[in-house]
Amino acid sequence: MLSIGIDIGSLTTKTVVLNNGRFLASVVSETLDEAEISAQVAMTKALERIDADEDPLRFVVTTGAGAKGVSFSDRSKAITTCLARGIAYCVPEARAVIDIGAESSTVVKTNERGKVLDWANHDKCAAGTGIFLQQMAKLMKLSFEEMSELSETASKGADITGTCAVFAESEVISHVHRVPPTPMPEIILGIYLSVSSRIKTMCKRIGANEKIALSGGVALHKGLVRTLEKEIGQPLFVPDDPVCVAALGAAVLAGEEIQKETAQ
Amino acid sequence: MKKAANNKIQSIVRACRIILRMIEADPNTRHSQKMYYRMLLQYYTRLRDARENGQFIAAHTVFFPAEILLAMDIIPMHTETTTWMTSLFTGECGDILAAGARLGMATEICAPHRGMAGAFASGALPRPDVMVWSNMVCDNTAKSGELVMDICGCPGFFIDRPFKDSGLEKTYMAGEIRDMIAFLEDKSGKKMDYDRLSTIVERMDRQIELTRQVNELRKNVPTPFSPLGFLELLTIDYLFPGQPESIEYLETLKAELEEMVKQKKGAIPKERFRLMTLFIPPMYLMSFLEKLSVESGAVSVIEPFFTFWGEGRLDASRPVEAVVEKAYMIPETRMYGPLGESALEAIKKCAREWKVDGAVYYADVGCRHSCATIKLFKDALAEVDVPVLTIDCDVVDQTVTSEEEVRDKMERFFELLEDR
Repeated sequence: MLSIGIDIGSLTTKTVVLNNGRFLASVVSETLDEAEISAQVAMTKALERIDADEDPLRFVVTTGAGAKGVSFSDRSKAITTCLARGIAYCVPEARAVIDIGAESSTVVKTNERGKVLDWANHDKCAAGTGIFLQQMAKLMKLSFEEMSELSETASKGADITGTCAVFAESEVISHVHRVPPTPMPEIILGIYLSVSSRIKTMCKRIGANEKIALSGGVALHKGLVRTLEKEIGQPLFVPDDPVCVAALGAAVLAGEEIQKETAQ
Repeated sequence: MKKAANNKIQSIVRACRIILRMIEADPNTRHSQKMYYRMLLQYYTRLRDARENGQFIAAHTVFFPAEILLAMDIIPMHTETTTWMTSLFTGECGDILAAGARLGMATEICAPHRGMAGAFASGALPRPDVMVWSNMVCDNTAKSGELVMDICGCPGFFIDRPFKDSGLEKTYMAGEIRDMIAFLEDKSGKKMDYDRLSTIVERMDRQIELTRQVNELRKNVPTPFSPLGFLELLTIDYLFPGQPESIEYLETLKAELEEMVKQKKGAIPKERFRLMTLFIPPMYLMSFLEKLSVESGAVSVIEPFFTFWGEGRLDASRPVEAVVEKAYMIPETRMYGPLGESALEAIKKCAREWKVDGAVYYADVGCRHSCATIKLFKDALAEVDVPVLTIDCDVVDQTVTSEEEVRDKMERFFELLEDR
């Protein structure tokens, strides 16, 4: 039986298909107006990528926004549980995962079996999330790659608040219009530092001190990863497909459910 | 002073009547719970009619020794609890919070105090004859009294409770209480009846003892007391300290719980998670939280800062000193007083003895005293392998946290507990 995990994010929906723990396919598609349709489209695309002779039976676990409302879902699970299982699958040595998604950031402390020991999340403001970084890139008319490269040349970061995305935007504008203006690399590093300090606090709060992995779309943002590593004081494990970690975890959980049902 | 266009006391009385009518007809409702609502109805009816009956009203803040008022036949008005009740029974208190905002109260200030100020300013609560308050237990409380005096144009008296609890400090506080009695005698024209105070103190001692016994019964697996029933224990202490009704309520509750234990019956159909509750859940979400508790099999079995009384007895032969002693025994002092190793040990002891699976910290964002303790409590509970869920919320202000957000966090937490 296929175990399928679907993570419905605010911008993208991720799907992972496993068969008896063996990876078959993953797909990232745009999240549509309704969770049901987003999940259906994502799962269809993922199934198109696997061999036709794979088992037609499937067990689906959904997570994320609106996951409970997906009619063809066999179980819905918390994103924290999915992140823990997902990271244990792809980075077994990790004991914590930082997930920076489009609209929220979460740190999950795990054990060697991929079980959640504790978590902290920030969902009150866009500060410290992917949307925030996207907004800053747009404001400075730079791509993520350009931001990453420029940040490398900065000797120090400009002071930018990590508390509120709107205030942070005002601060960036103020740095740009200062006489003389704050150099662009310093502003970018300041932005990275504001995100990193917020994440570091969450790690400290739950005692996520070692063997930390990074997931979510922001993990592809090299400049931020470097800054975060410096702030936390250790290298971060970045899986090959950091975007799909929660969906992968959901697929692992689907596999566990299949095993439970088989055992009964 | 504006005329009471929106009398909150009348709203609470009406809501209590409706609830009572519903639960009186329900054979499955605990008898003690019916008694509890009758007590609430009695408290607020008495307060509503006090002015008409020519009685003297003293508004007072939380943990203020209301025993003194009751011994002097003065009608007490517990300000914070009344704000809660407004939220609990009328579903929202946006109007009094808005009235507080119009006074210039910032949203960062503890909402029960904002609401209290707004309620007095808008005439939603009756004007008290005096305001009596203390620094038990927080700085919001310490300053609220002055604000109420200013809004209502009434005299007031502040009791200074020293932070630490040596004999010298307790003697000092007894002096404060005596000065307040003289103030009340002067303003109300009523004399303190010390024999009556002794009787109240004696009953308060019994009330504490009964609460301890109820908590002992809650150690049973499954626990016999309802998931959020501890709010009843809290409220009777706040509104009915040392009153015959409290004793009757607690004795009835105890007998009911004993019977349930004998029959090995739990408060909810399937107990899955035994929780420790740290701080007060949002009042406006109580029906939702009750429902979620039953659905998820989660039940609060102990509250170290609200129902778990400190050691000690009250000596009725020295009633003023006993009132001081109580001020240092109340469970909340563990959170607000000097946070020594003993307070952290008490939490761990509760976790072990009540077989707690997880703790829920309702972190009231307006309460700086409690929020400062989150990490300390989390670390202490980690030592006994008890995970803590922290929910940023407010006791009455609905704009801080939504039902959906609380549900999401609670469900994640239950999943964590189940997956262990």
